[in-house]
Amino acid sequence: MTSSAATAAKPVVRKSGALRGQDLGRYTLLIVLLLIVVVTAIGNPRFLSVNNLMNILFQVSALGIVASGQTILLIAGGLDLAVGAALSVAGLATALTIMHTGSVTLGILAGVVSGTVIGAINGMLVATNRATPFIITLGTMTFLQGVAIIMSGGSPINGTGKLFDVFGLGDFLGVPWPVYAMFASVLVMFLVLRFTTLGRYAFAIGGNEEAARLSGIPVRRIKIALYALSGVFVGVAGVILTGILDSGLPSMGTGYELRAIAAVVIGGTPLIGGRGTVIGTLGGVLLLGLVSNSMNLLGVGANFQSAVLGLIITAAVLLQKKA
Amino acid sequence: MNSATPPAIQVRSVTKSFLGQRALDDVDFEVARGEVHGLVGKNGAGKSTFMKILSGAQPPDSGQIIVGGTAFKALNPAEGRAAGIAIVYQNPELHLDLSVAANIFLGAEPRKGFGILDDKAMAARATELLARLGLDLPVNQRLGDLDIADRQQVAIAKAVREKAHVLLLDEPTAALNKAQAEFLFRLIRDLARQGMAIVYVSHHLDEVLAISDRITILRNGRKVAVVEGKSADKDGLISMIVGRTLDAVETHRSERLRADPFLILEGVSSQGGLDNVSLQVGKGEIVGVTGLIGGGANALAAVIGGLDHRDVAGRMMLGGQSYAPRAVREAIARGVLFIPEDMRGRGLVMSLSIAKNISLAALKSLSKMGWLKLSKETGVATEMSERLDLNPRAPSREVRFLSGGNQRKALLGRAIFADGKLFVLEEPTQGVDVESQRQIHDHLRRLADRGATVVFVSTDLEELIALADRILVLRAGRIEQELSPEGLDPQQLLVAIQTQSARSVN
Ligand SMILES: Nc1ncnc2c1ncn2[C@@H]1O[C@H](COP(=O)(O)OP(=O)(O)OP(=O)(O)O)[C@@H](O)[C@H]1O
Ligand SMILES: [Mg+2]
Repeated sequence: MTSSAATAAKPVVRKSGALRGQDLGRYTLLIVLLLIVVVTAIGNPRFLSVNNLMNILFQVSALGIVASGQTILLIAGGLDLAVGAALSVAGLATALTIMHTGSVTLGILAGVVSGTVIGAINGMLVATNRATPFIITLGTMTFLQGVAIIMSGGSPINGTGKLFDVFGLGDFLGVPWPVYAMFASVLVMFLVLRFTTLGRYAFAIGGNEEAARLSGIPVRRIKIALYALSGVFVGVAGVILTGILDSGLPSMGTGYELRAIAAVVIGGTPLIGGRGTVIGTLGGVLLLGLVSNSMNLLGVGANFQSAVLGLIITAAVLLQKKA
Repeated sequence: MNSATPPAIQVRSVTKSFLGQRALDDVDFEVARGEVHGLVGKNGAGKSTFMKILSGAQPPDSGQIIVGGTAFKALNPAEGRAAGIAIVYQNPELHLDLSVAANIFLGAEPRKGFGILDDKAMAARATELLARLGLDLPVNQRLGDLDIADRQQVAIAKAVREKAHVLLLDEPTAALNKAQAEFLFRLIRDLARQGMAIVYVSHHLDEVLAISDRITILRNGRKVAVVEGKSADKDGLISMIVGRTLDAVETHRSERLRADPFLILEGVSSQGGLDNVSLQVGKGEIVGVTGLIGGGANALAAVIGGLDHRDVAGRMMLGGQSYAPRAVREAIARGVLFIPEDMRGRGLVMSLSIAKNISLAALKSLSKMGWLKLSKETGVATEMSERLDLNPRAPSREVRFLSGGNQRKALLGRAIFADGKLFVLEEPTQGVDVESQRQIHDHLRRLADRGATVVFVSTDLEELIALADRILVLRAGRIEQELSPEGLDPQQLLVAIQTQSARSVN
């Protein structure tokens, strides 16, 4: 009855294409991954050889293990910046124990236990303090870096005997043992996240901590358990990296925290928590591995590589904000 | 409303689907200048979606929005604002750390030159604007220190400052008490008289009837009818909303004896504001608790629910044994289930599914040695969805995609599934439609008949009278009155709550 004036007006049309911004955000990294593969494969045919692909898996194995553990922390709205330094400490603990006792078993035990204990301590600090996990674990990271230097006395602890034979040289059906360890870590985290109450509590705490508390979830205890669990993964990674390097180094874990968190975020787990998957994290790890491998093959320098890594992390976080 | 004036905003044939399901189906709609237009419908009928499309917060799949002589396929929020459309959500999207004045003038702050903010001028202009609207708000106060009702008023003042001529209100009174709601109605009427077009969504049909010039009824995303506010009546409205006539409310209040006290409070005081409260609640009894904001109703719930446990003086007994929970989970272990009013902030985990939200407080019963029984969980959630009429019946749907009323049902489902002995519920049916509200009340009554005890806090007078066996009115942390809902009418109850406000002014 009163619409004539309006109908006469020119309709303002806006494009409403199928792929809106958020969808694009979710798939951008996959597209980037494919682009990298294509470009590198054209530039260097060796890139797609089974040998090289296996080499990439081998190189990212310790990262994959650390990132699997980090996944549940981010899902729970937490974060552990100390994992790199803890990795060094665990690796040194392994190497020193083997050096002093000659027992590889004790060495493995020392690495895994130290990783777990460090994780639990971080968890306790996070659970009982108001400061953010970022600040708290930044502190423990600096502390642990000091510990690692003291432990090593400033020089590498060389010689790990059997550990090197297995993780550095050994394989099964042509696949190096560390790669199995990485996939096992992903599988374990997948099971924890999907099928256990602990995993569910992590999602609930990350999604809404107060709601979790009002539902009777022992939030503090769960947080400590989650950091300790992540610490187990860090300890295992420390043992394996020590085997791969046939030595413990105070700098062996340097940078792992950033790359692990980057892999988790690239894999679709938001920094605010409440959702996420470890399969996504595996994708993030592989992406990082592919990128650094292709840059190596294309002869890109180390400084430039680190700039590219920074770009990828920034892009991942920015794209996530939109999605 | 005057049909000679052109509509302030008009919508033609708007359609919107989510995940293949129609949320809005070919809806036509218009509001005239100076009209208050009620919009009603069941939970999930599409009211909020429609409001978001009107404001530009969401684009429709097809259809037109015609405003200011321009037809849009879709508005974006900036275009909506430029066209003079303002939306005020139940919990307004404002900046809690800024002052009232700063919120009102956000993005248009008076400046002295060189870009320096002129706080004095801003405060003065805010004061003047608020006075013109008949609002009495402290312009320099931090917004976070104000209650929801005041925040809504700030949001409305901001809309007026932005020269909005269409004001969209999505369930503004759901979290308000009666006095606050009355105040809001006066404001709405004033604004309408000055030519503002207002769209008003609510499940409180008495309010809608009282304030609306016209009322549009949505059902399953379709427009069922538009009726004149004057000629409509509540039962007719209900049958259009639901699609059939509802049976008259049967107020079966079983003769629950308080001979068997389940919960006993003796001289309980708390930091949260309780002052020497003594109370006995019988097994199977449903007690409604109300009062003015800060009167102590929520403080009572917090103490019983185990939320407020520091510096609680006095003694509590539960099921014949001493009860002094030091954490919510200790209360839950004793069978006490608390559900907060603040559903988004403290209740639901928005990133999780319906099933995972329902099971959250009782995962122990759904797991063995820490391993979850996922298929059992899905079954439980499906069953609970049916019992509470939770739509859609899709246990794996994330709750953030649910309509407001259905989110409330999921939250309530959590408590019911946890199978408590004592339910402590804050605003159990806030934002829930008429039919579902009755279903939930019936359900709670059945739980009580089977021996569960219910203590609920509500500001909804009808709900208190319909559901409670006994109503407690709290003031200043004390139980001021105890009323039987039998034969009580809402006006009497309102008087009981408000007479105290006269006294409590010092
Ligand atoms: N982002 C979304 N994704 C998927 N489904 C959605 C989304 N938003 C709304 N819906 C669905 O659209 C329908 C309409 O929802 P809407 O919020 O408009 O209902 P409503 O009438 O406001 O209900 P209530 O009275 O409960 O607030 C519901 O079935 C809801 O589940
Ligand atoms: Mg709604």
